[in-house]
Amino acid sequence: MTRADAPLTTTPSSALLEVRAVSKSFGGLHVLRAVDLTIARGSITGLIGPNGAGKSTLFNIVSGFLAPDRGDVIYHGRPIGRISVVDRSRAGLVRTFQTPQVFGHLTVRENLVAGCHKLGRSGMLADMLGLPLARRELAQMQRRAALTAARFSLEPVADVLAGKLPVGQQRLLELARAAIADPELLCLDEPSSGLNGDEVDQLARMLTQLNEEGMTVFLVSHDMELMGCAATVNVLCFGETIASGPFAAVKADPRVREAYLGA
Amino acid sequence: MTTTLFIQSLLAGLTNGFVYGLIGLGISVIFRGTRVVNAMQGDFALVAGIAACLALDWLGLPIAVGFLGGIIAGALVGWAVELLLIRPTQARGGSEDSLLLVTLGGAFAVSAAALLYFGRDSRSMPGFGGNRSLDVFDAAIRVHAVWLIAIAIVVVVALRLFYQRTPLGQSILAASIDPEGAATIGINVPRMRTLTFMLGGAVGGVAGVLVSPLITIHYEMGLLLTLKGFTAAIVGGLGNPFGAIMGGLLLGLVEAMAIVFVSSGYKDVIAMSLLILIMIAMPNGLLGRRGRVGG
Amino acid sequence: MSVEPIRAPAAALLTHRHLRRLVGATLALAGIAIWAALPQVLSRGTVDLLVFTALYAIAGLGVAFLLGQCGIVSLAQSVFYGIGAYATAYCCTTWGWPWYAALVIGMVISGATALVIGWPVLRLSGYFLALATLALATIGHVLFLEWDWLTGGTLGVGGIPQISLFGLVLNTPQKFYYFIWPLAALIYWLLYNLLHSRSGYAMRAMRDAPAAALVLGIDVHKLKVRIFVLSALLGSLAGSLFANYVSFVSVDSFGVDRAVSFLLLAVVGGAQSVIGPLFGAAFVTLVPNLLSRVGDVHPLLFAGVLVVAVIFLPQGMGGLVTTLWRRLWPPAPPAPGSGT
Ligand SMILES: Nc1ncnc2c1ncn2[C@@H]1O[C@H](COP(=O)(O)OP(=O)(O)O)[C@@H](O)[C@H]1O
Ligand SMILES: [Mg+2]
Repeated sequence: MTRADAPLTTTPSSALLEVRAVSKSFGGLHVLRAVDLTIARGSITGLIGPNGAGKSTLFNIVSGFLAPDRGDVIYHGRPIGRISVVDRSRAGLVRTFQTPQVFGHLTVRENLVAGCHKLGRSGMLADMLGLPLARRELAQMQRRAALTAARFSLEPVADVLAGKLPVGQQRLLELARAAIADPELLCLDEPSSGLNGDEVDQLARMLTQLNEEGMTVFLVSHDMELMGCAATVNVLCFGETIASGPFAAVKADPRVREAYLGA
Repeated sequence: MTTTLFIQSLLAGLTNGFVYGLIGLGISVIFRGTRVVNAMQGDFALVAGIAACLALDWLGLPIAVGFLGGIIAGALVGWAVELLLIRPTQARGGSEDSLLLVTLGGAFAVSAAALLYFGRDSRSMPGFGGNRSLDVFDAAIRVHAVWLIAIAIVVVVALRLFYQRTPLGQSILAASIDPEGAATIGINVPRMRTLTFMLGGAVGGVAGVLVSPLITIHYEMGLLLTLKGFTAAIVGGLGNPFGAIMGGLLLGLVEAMAIVFVSSGYKDVIAMSLLILIMIAMPNGLLGRRGRVGG
Repeated sequence: MSVEPIRAPAAALLTHRHLRRLVGATLALAGIAIWAALPQVLSRGTVDLLVFTALYAIAGLGVAFLLGQCGIVSLAQSVFYGIGAYATAYCCTTWGWPWYAALVIGMVISGATALVIGWPVLRLSGYFLALATLALATIGHVLFLEWDWLTGGTLGVGGIPQISLFGLVLNTPQKFYYFIWPLAALIYWLLYNLLHSRSGYAMRAMRDAPAAALVLGIDVHKLKVRIFVLSALLGSLAGSLFANYVSFVSVDSFGVDRAVSFLLLAVVGGAQSVIGPLFGAAFVTLVPNLLSRVGDVHPLLFAGVLVVAVIFLPQGMGGLVTTLWRRLWPPAPPAPGSGT
């Protein structure tokens, strides 16, 4: 395999994820039309757009729940269009959902332990026999869960069933659970909806902190305050990216004001 | 193999096909109106068959009246099932699995009650036209089977008109598609669901009284009928009642061919394999809508 | 009765937690003593029923695991129970194989069948999956009937040798009792471990929110298939031992009604807890016997109990017992500094 002479992609080394000309339609409804988007390694990248713009659909395509009709998603310089959700997750690409998806019959602590799944490799047989390897791994997962619970201020509710938590804490738990296995790219779909002001502040702090530790964050939100922590913001409207750049510049863009801010 | 035998099998397949179609039609009616897959549709038929049988045996009623009694019995069981099984399960937040388990339990209960009452023997029942047959290309078809086909067609057409033309039919659909919206425009949603089950029960009853003279009544017949009706409904698209008849015909003919070319012992194996294969082939298309992930 | 745990190190000898353990251990010891004494005091017929309780508990545990941990309603267990039984019947009588070789062959065939069928079928969910397993049970029953060169059809296969263990032939219910119950206990221990391991967390995660489980790197489909295979292995094991125990098998034992009993025992016993199916198994084996004088009433009772349990007792008897135990002895809050 030849390498250096003809680079197949023009990916700048700083792009962790690229969405290239992705289109998707449901029946006759064109939800995404040739969307392009780049997420720089180590950045917090935002995506805003009115309801029904196709943001969640884009998320589903990036995370592998949906296949694009056309176009491709490039992760680490490699197209991942045919790779399953699980394999993307193992490669460090993790997402949350617009409606929080906690494991309702598990406690907060157990949710976090389940979040560590891909850090272990004990098989079902070892688990059944309770082999030392399996026990050791589980103990490690439990320690990590305890640390993460502390970090995300979930300790007071650690033994509460996740399904019984208020939405705000469910979102926080989902974030903690997504972050627990040190993903490279964390995609958050409307993480601030249903949160009160304090909780949004806390969320913004957590995101900045995770980002400073090297996690790349891809953020969909309506919340202007939260978007403040994004370096680059893309605006999606009726399935097309109509602007992208620093938040202040995007906010000033007349097309964005017209389409999104309704001014 | 002679042509006569072949035609004979085709006719049998056609008749069975309409029976499966009617069961599938009942499953579709209930699914369309309540989003519940009713695992006791075949047992509605069993109840109706038994009721008709008793009406004919004990009371010596004319056939048509006995049949009508069977159909009413089917509707009553449908009503009871909605009231006693479905409603409490949903009130306690039962999942899809709970609903299925509850209707399965209902199916086993009907079958067990029939066993207790009738024992393990089969019962035969008189049909329209006695035992007389018609000749079709040297093959014979029972007069009753011709009635069965005709009535099945009438039921399908009547149901179609009911859903399309009558306010009640429209209300039932509205109550199922958008329960909250329907309630705000004054539709009594719980009542629509009860009516749906009664309608499903009546359709099951039609199938039951019509098929019983052809196959004899047996306490175990419900579950297999349900599975075949479900196959028919799936082939035709679960949300689309009129596809069920087409699905039933397809299944009936496939079974007939299986009997001719393989052996009659394997006909249920082939029908059930068909069911599984079809479900695997269209896991997303089953409900006529795709599941959405996390909004 | 929530007692504040005593935290002073000097008084830590008998904390709440210790007391709880002590009571648990005492109960367990008493249970074992009663278990060992039972065959000595009970009639042969009753011991026979207790043997069946263990057999059903093993097969039913597979169904319960699918239901409680994966949310899969399986009505196909009778197929694997049958495969195990016929493998033993055929290999032991036709080829004169020892019981354990036949048992392993049965499990291999069952496991392979479960893998091949489960891989495509487990992509279905909810109603469709349940009905697919019901269809499988129907297919299995017809094939057991039709393949009479293998199964003897309605006549069945007789003369299956009894299990001999180091020269001791298990030819009475009493002897079999002392063999089957430790085996069942071993299996329950294995599955208890599984449930409280990394795989166990993955299963429960998958049951509650499959999409989120995928995102965390849990291969939902593979996990389902594995548990389906595991469940089939348990069914096959129980079927093989059943064949050795009764030394005659016929197609009547592997109908849809058998699959229903397995599902019923999982639902009634409680599929969420590992211990639940044990109660369920006792229910489905003992009750028909108690009612046998009244005729064929038990199918009706079973159906009624299934309905009532699904509506009013979603956690089953196992859940009831667990709740009661927790209420009597609420777990003490974790002591400071000690991990859980
Ligand atoms: N699975 C689907 N089937 C049909 N239409 C869909 C599906 N998913 C999304 N849509 C439609 O696509 C459009 C965009 O949806 P979505 O991506 O959720 O928007 P956003 O997240 O930006 O609010 C909406 O009109 C929605 O109705
Ligand atoms: Mg969205």
